[in-house]
Amino acid sequence: MKHNKTGLIGIIITVIVLIIVVIISNLKTNQLQNMQTVVSKLFMPLQNGYVFIKNKITGDEQQLSDIEILKNENSALREENSKLKEQVRELEILKSENNTLKEYVNLKDKYSDYTTVPANVIERSYSNYDKILIINVGTNDGIKENMPVISESGLVGKILSVTDSSSKVQTIIDTASTVSATISTASESILLKGTLADTNTLKATSIPVETSILQGDEVVTSGFGGIFPKGILIGTINSVVNTKNELDRYAVVNPATDFSKLETVLVITQK
Amino acid sequence: MKKFRAIAIIILLFLIIYFFQINFFSWFTIRGIMPNLFVLLALFLGLFTGKKIGGFFSLFFGIILDILIGRSIGFTGIFLGIIGLLGEYFDKNFSKDSRVTIILMTVGSTILFEVCMYIVNIIKFKIEIEILPFLITLSLEVIYNTFLVIILYPGIKKLGYYLENILKNKKLLTRYF
Repeated sequence: MKHNKTGLIGIIITVIVLIIVVIISNLKTNQLQNMQTVVSKLFMPLQNGYVFIKNKITGDEQQLSDIEILKNENSALREENSKLKEQVRELEILKSENNTLKEYVNLKDKYSDYTTVPANVIERSYSNYDKILIINVGTNDGIKENMPVISESGLVGKILSVTDSSSKVQTIIDTASTVSATISTASESILLKGTLADTNTLKATSIPVETSILQGDEVVTSGFGGIFPKGILIGTINSVVNTKNELDRYAVVNPATDFSKLETVLVITQK
Repeated sequence: MKKFRAIAIIILLFLIIYFFQINFFSWFTIRGIMPNLFVLLALFLGLFTGKKIGGFFSLFFGIILDILIGRSIGFTGIFLGIIGLLGEYFDKNFSKDSRVTIILMTVGSTILFEVCMYIVNIIKFKIEIEILPFLITLSLEVIYNTFLVIILYPGIKKLGYYLENILKNKKLLTRYF
């Protein structure tokens, strides 16, 4: 009887621990920041007092304040410098954009010309290692393998296999997916792959050395490969990771489509 | 008739697990990582129903999963089937009455299944090898599966011995020997 009671308490404790682990692990960084702010506020007087006593003893108060002023000036200058650099790059981008703008206008028109079939997402992959969706349209609706799937915001993926009334969609964030793309400010093509490290982002590789990439640059399909039509928005550059070897540098891309909330999609049946 | 009921229970169990895995555990995650209830089911079947029934149903359920939502058909079935077969080996060599043993079996089975699946994906789909992210994901999945086994252990044991009694024609004597 006592053993049963202990076992039950153990299970209850494990359930509580599991719930706490799930909640904490899914907290957003800014929520954790609030907690950090509260803790740092609590410890701030103690820390200030400690610094004050330390300064009194060493007599370095004036020196410290000078260093502080210099630091502020330095950071302001750096900020100004980076702004100027950015302006120069923006001008270059504008130049490049000017050349491709006409092409994009044409693509927009072209995009509305596609014949599409609307569908609902009815299931998602149960595995942590792939990102497959099931949609409620199939061969009966004219769906075939390798047809592109898009959402209101951008590219979703391609049809992997089809049954009469449903289809499997391999999303672009799947680790086995590779999409040929171009950055809106450059003409060279890059490759976008799904990654296990962060299943909500894409890894842009094979970036030509001469291509300049900036945070916020749009990434669109290149049209190479024959599956995805040219000019469909994939996402925006989040960050560029430079490596020792320039050929190995890569960029992290935020997909335009929010896959966690994706419910309705369009299958492009005729390009 | 009893055997028929036991098989109906196994199928029902798969449907319940499928429902929970696809719906509940798609948002009740540890840092976005879901547990893998199907590995637990395959291990459970192998342990309590033997290699024939355990192996067969694990293979069968794996193929269904592949058809429904897998990247390719067959591999989930094969590896779940292997875990089903391993279940009987575990049963013969270790005690099912120990919670720790069951936890260790769960850890081993989850690692075996996911590593095999990852290797297949690398070879078949030429996915990029990401050792560290894979190990982090696997570790969280193993922890999650362990949590679930700790919570569900009394139920697993009760239902398991019930099925074992019917399908293996065994009496509940393990405690006394």
